Amino acid sequence: MTTDVSPYHRKDLLTIGDLDREEILHILDNAKPFKDLFTRSVKKVPTLRGKTVLNLFYEPSTRTRTSFEIAAKRLSADVTNFAVSTSSVVKGESILDTIDTLQAMQVDYIIVRHSVSGVPEYIARHTHASVLNAGDGHHAHPTQALLDAFTFREVYPDMTGKRIVVAGDILHSRVARSVFEIMHLLGVEVATFGPATLVPRTIPSYVRILHSFEEVFEFDPHVLYLLRLQLERQKANFFPSMREYHNRYGVTTERFKTLRERGTWVMHPGPVNRGVELVDDVMTYERTLINHQVENGIATRMAILYHLTPQEPKRLPLPEEIRA
Amino acid sequence: MSTMLIQQAHLLLPGETDLVLRDIRVEEGLIQEIATSIQPPPGAALVDGTGRILLPGLCDPHVHLREPGREDAETIVSGTEAAIAGGFTHILAMPNTDPPIDTGGMVTYVRSMAKKQSRIPVSVAGCLTCGRRGDKLAEIADMAAQGALMVTDCTHALQDEYILRRALEYTRHFDVIVGVYPDTPALSGEGVMHEGEVSFRLGLQGIPAMAEEIGIERDLRVAHAVGGRIHIQNVSTAEGVASIRRFKERGLQVTAETTPHHLLLNHHALEGYHTRFKMLPPLRTEADQEALLEGVKDGTLDMIATGHAPHTDFEKNLDFSHAPFGVIGLQTALLSLYTDLIAPGKLNWAQLIQAMSAAPRQLLKLPPLSFSVGSPFEAVLFDPAAETTIDRPTLKSRSFNSPWLGQTLKGSVTHVFLGETEIDV
Amino acid sequence: MHEKKVMDAGAVKSAIQSLAAEIHAAHGDRPLAFVGIHTRGVPLADRLVRELRYRRDHIEQGTLDISLYRDDLDNLAALPTIEGSDIPFEVEGASILLCDDVLFTGRTIRAAINVLLDYGRPERIELAVLADRGHRELPIAATYAGITVPTRKEDYLRVHFKETDGEDRVIHYQSETS
Repeated sequence: MTTDVSPYHRKDLLTIGDLDREEILHILDNAKPFKDLFTRSVKKVPTLRGKTVLNLFYEPSTRTRTSFEIAAKRLSADVTNFAVSTSSVVKGESILDTIDTLQAMQVDYIIVRHSVSGVPEYIARHTHASVLNAGDGHHAHPTQALLDAFTFREVYPDMTGKRIVVAGDILHSRVARSVFEIMHLLGVEVATFGPATLVPRTIPSYVRILHSFEEVFEFDPHVLYLLRLQLERQKANFFPSMREYHNRYGVTTERFKTLRERGTWVMHPGPVNRGVELVDDVMTYERTLINHQVENGIATRMAILYHLTPQEPKRLPLPEEIRA
Repeated sequence: MSTMLIQQAHLLLPGETDLVLRDIRVEEGLIQEIATSIQPPPGAALVDGTGRILLPGLCDPHVHLREPGREDAETIVSGTEAAIAGGFTHILAMPNTDPPIDTGGMVTYVRSMAKKQSRIPVSVAGCLTCGRRGDKLAEIADMAAQGALMVTDCTHALQDEYILRRALEYTRHFDVIVGVYPDTPALSGEGVMHEGEVSFRLGLQGIPAMAEEIGIERDLRVAHAVGGRIHIQNVSTAEGVASIRRFKERGLQVTAETTPHHLLLNHHALEGYHTRFKMLPPLRTEADQEALLEGVKDGTLDMIATGHAPHTDFEKNLDFSHAPFGVIGLQTALLSLYTDLIAPGKLNWAQLIQAMSAAPRQLLKLPPLSFSVGSPFEAVLFDPAAETTIDRPTLKSRSFNSPWLGQTLKGSVTHVFLGETEIDV
Repeated sequence: MHEKKVMDAGAVKSAIQSLAAEIHAAHGDRPLAFVGIHTRGVPLADRLVRELRYRRDHIEQGTLDISLYRDDLDNLAALPTIEGSDIPFEVEGASILLCDDVLFTGRTIRAAINVLLDYGRPERIELAVLADRGHRELPIAATYAGITVPTRKEDYLRVHFKETDGEDRVIHYQSETS
């Protein structure tokens, strides 16, 4: 019988900044046994039986939603998807109205994806349920960062002193912000590389800015983390063309050769723009961890769901109580 | 004939910087006598000023009353009641109502409504362009004739320098001020807060300081070239203060205002994504705060205006991008400035009175209020030892979007006087 | 609380030896998998395997973490840390001996059986405990028990193993209220 208990009583996971190194390692340690379950004939455990997990996605994302859905189901929770379009929200229903509705439905965990930064934090303030930030605006994507750290750690169990380059559109990337934070907390040297228009000077001071792929190779990262480029950035003149972006900032066939020679691992949060961030060959490269990230995403999200403790819900008063 | 005697209040005599203890006798709206001790005349209403500070009535040249059109957020009555509770005896109403105040008829309508409903006088500003669309001058002469003291498009920046040039030229022959919100819309874009390390961390789109800096520089250059009476609203940046200082030294007739929030808060306040800190211009950095305070002290920034901008709970409960800009400020201005600047000795009463009464009254061509025999008496009795908790029951405004919501501030406005009439606070 | 030493190191050693003898008598040399339940079932399984290593050929060994299967997660002040299970053998068709230090309400064993069943369908599951202290809440019984200790429900019975606690002994903490 287990006697060790977790020292953490966390209701919500909103940003990596809420966690310290110990708590991150605790979650990552827990994710391992969850991953081990995937080799059993029954991949499910009864841990969250009778609990309700709600996917509240204001921004469509089939991948992340599915990953959370599988994670919750493998913990035996009941999962419901609640898709809301942002346009309808502005019209007449504030987020608070939606939260009140969800409160009345007595859900235990709310997984929030929203195009506006800060919404998960706002929701967390107004609900007893545990809120998991599944990506808000350009702000944070903590579960992605945790699964990335888990994946990194599978390759390098001691991450201290290892090096990572996060490349691409930093300015608009919640993944970049969260990955910077978690890698820094875990002792990884962090550098970044991308068009100067997309790498603002206001990034954290511990992140080293690299100016060319030559500098990237000089920095010699253990992991090259490529971000997905939103194609509409070109229209806003952050860079002149996709062609130029790929030639200067993408993993071209030439650069891929160098990466392979050096044995550099490649990560990407998906979905990939082939021919922009990277050439096709990278997808079949044995050190490309993109599919590992997806698999680890489920185990990590199970560990995160397990890690959080919802508050006792407030019951709506019965009509006779109101009358009295 | 009624007489009022305020006894043993601390106050500032003209030209002084230290508070002194005085009795003041008021009759027929004018100060009749000031002395260290005055024998109460028979039948006089006595007000005990012991331990309190008597300030001239404050004047706010930047208030959004929302009536007509958005009476759910504020009305003339609720807005002016908030003003009274904050120690203001005169305000200037902004024209961004619905419909906007962009004709002489609208100016007359709002002024007459205010006259009927408000317990303090309300001056009215008109729009600079029709519907504040920034492209076509509103009938400025007509509005001025109906009593509009200022024309401004509030936070809708003018489309280009051309329209600003024409507005400043056109108003040279009227007694009307052109109020501008200095901005460069192409740079502000869809930003929602100050661009800096905090906006990066929060993942919110930034409004760079240079958008305001370029705006101020451009607006002042145009005014310098063509004349007209320009007033810069809501200065929030250190560089903006420096530009205004430089143009003032060159002799340009310009006035400028900043707000209590920009003096007292900075972009770190947004770290919890609370929309009650979302405003235009955005809260800037600590360095900007210091420069603004310096600007108020040396007179580069002539006045402190609240920019009182009520928004309903529903609006402010939207997500951070969709929630409107603006915060209320009438009821907290004096208290917050006292708490964070006067009490710690960073600003003195003389400077505050200059910025919140003398300068704005001069802008609105109101007679100055000074504690001297023969002066009109509009005053506020302030208790520095008391505390005021800023919560929903306390706030007279219909909206509660105050940065200080839930906080307890030092001081309390206990009495407001218009002549010898005491207005219930 | 009143403390009473129920077993010292010598008593623990001989109890494990007789458990091993009993198990050997029942199973002979037929394949048997020893599965210790975290935390103190693990050293018990280890000891039994050590006792029987030279007497039999087919020994499989594993560990089981039941924290994800507990029925009282909602009532716990803090979440258990997950050790993870390690079942390096085919559960389908196996004979499994679950090992734990103390048998009390039976809920831990219920959870452990559920975990095993999620790995496959074993031929049979038996249970060996060092101490049975009674007060079952489920119809579960030990196949092999080192000792039986009469206790009150609110008492504690604490097994100490060298591996986890520095020395071998069993302490009965008796509540003073009647």
